[in-house]
Amino acid sequence: MPSAIEVRSLAKQFGPVRAVDDLTFEVAEGRVTGFLGPNGSGKTTTLRMLLGLVSVTQGSATFGGKRYVELDHPVRHVGAALEATSFHPTRRAEDHLKSVALASKIPLTRVEETLEMVGLTEVARRRVGKFSLGMRQRLQLATALLGDPEILILDEPANGLDPQGILWLRTFIRHQASLGHAVLVSSHLLSEMEETVDDVVIISQGRLVLQTNLADMASQAGTGTGMRIRTPEIDRLAAVLNAVPVAWRQTAADSLVIDGATPEWFGPFAAEHRIVLYELVNERSSLEDVFLELTQGFDAANPMGSDTGQSAPFRTPGAPS
Amino acid sequence: MIAVIRSEWLKLRTTSIPWLLSGIALVLTGLLILLYFVNHGDGGPEHKGGFGPPDPSVPHTVQQLRNLVGRGVNIYVFALLLGVLIITVEFRHKTVTTSFLVTPRRPLFVAGKLLIAAISGAALALVVLAGTVIGGGIALSAKGGSFSALAHQIGPVLPGMVLVYALFAVLGVGVGSLLTNQVAAIVVCLGWFLIVENIIGGIWTGTVRWLPSGAAQAAANVSAGGNQQIGLFSWWQGSILILLYGLAFAAIGSLVLTRRDIT
Repeated sequence: MPSAIEVRSLAKQFGPVRAVDDLTFEVAEGRVTGFLGPNGSGKTTTLRMLLGLVSVTQGSATFGGKRYVELDHPVRHVGAALEATSFHPTRRAEDHLKSVALASKIPLTRVEETLEMVGLTEVARRRVGKFSLGMRQRLQLATALLGDPEILILDEPANGLDPQGILWLRTFIRHQASLGHAVLVSSHLLSEMEETVDDVVIISQGRLVLQTNLADMASQAGTGTGMRIRTPEIDRLAAVLNAVPVAWRQTAADSLVIDGATPEWFGPFAAEHRIVLYELVNERSSLEDVFLELTQGFDAANPMGSDTGQSAPFRTPGAPS
Repeated sequence: MIAVIRSEWLKLRTTSIPWLLSGIALVLTGLLILLYFVNHGDGGPEHKGGFGPPDPSVPHTVQQLRNLVGRGVNIYVFALLLGVLIITVEFRHKTVTTSFLVTPRRPLFVAGKLLIAAISGAALALVVLAGTVIGGGIALSAKGGSFSALAHQIGPVLPGMVLVYALFAVLGVGVGSLLTNQVAAIVVCLGWFLIVENIIGGIWTGTVRWLPSGAAQAAANVSAGGNQQIGLFSWWQGSILILLYGLAFAAIGSLVLTRRDIT
């Protein structure tokens, strides 16, 4: 089964800057793919090349083998929500959607439907100039959904959303994937996307760092655990810890961290020595830490330097169509 | 094509462009009418009614009435601005991103704009003409002239006005597709029509027929009787010339736009 989106050796040169370089990845149907990287890593440029807004210097970006410009009424196949500023301020939300629907021969009943899907029914007749950033994001999503596309491309959709909005977005994206749609969603924060995405494509400085599924990445995150302990009896604890083979370091006047320790081991240990504890925190390095490590420690000149670089196989799902 | 026109008209009417431009054009039309009557009022002493020769300050010959009805032709630059704004507004408010997602083939995007510009340009001509007939009619009646004589001149003036306005709106889209910066495009257009053309026409009088304003005067004569200015093209030659200018700009603009990155 072909992937919904295929990016092959994609590159973009802006003057002297290689914004995207030799980028290859795929987005599968029925799955949510997180497109992650720090700000300025080339995410938006890549998405805009996919959508024909920015010309391609090298390589290809296709939907089922076709470039965006080759699609017939593209918004009926690929829904895109890019930056939240592109509305005419005096235009009402519903008129914005109608103008898109008319041009793409989408039934006008979809305008009401999509406004309801994103929760903007009550402000449908309000001018977009009066919209908050969150409302603009929702209107962007409504625009993307208008043609009931099988592929969704969302650029930083969580920007400007409040915590409730982010929760709503998560449910919304998962729902789209459950319908068998392919969703490519970019973010500079993995934590924002951690519970939403199935697969991740991580780029840094325009180059691919890692394409994997989230489960594999999570298994990496387990390493580097430890216990942080706060106690009024720090000297006595230090003394008893020195008697056992563990590595520890003091982090504050009343706190220390024990590497590799688990609560199951430390709890009884502290009780045995009758040490008073104020705090006992199990510290795991999060996915975010792994992400930061991957993107910051990434050497663009030697992209294969990371031994996990290309090792994780990309899972092709058996998605309904 | 109907779908494109409906979409583009919806986009246009939900901006302030058509309403603001028609408003300003109507105010200016009123001033032009006022000026017309003031100038013609210099012709002789105030007529006090009764028998005698007609008051020279009241237009009554066919040509005078036609000139009054056709006052609005002189402000065809509004149709040009309409065309410029129709396309540059998309860049100003970055709605062009959505438009290019809907219509990724950029020459087709420009073609849609040319189409709506021609239609709305013609509509603007009708608005201005209506304004002239109503305003001019009221002024004429107040001075004891004949409104129905004025109304008879709508037919001969209308085709030329609609033609010139539609063509100049097309030319505006052409210019705007090349100069997508709204302010720059407006400044260049006004600078050209208010200053540069006058200089060129003043130095080389032979070039006037080739300039857009000369072509506009020619095109406006589509149904006018005599009085065609010497040295101008015939109405259809002038029309084709304006259209060619517009399409040439639009073609170059489409090419430039196709290569342009929308970031």
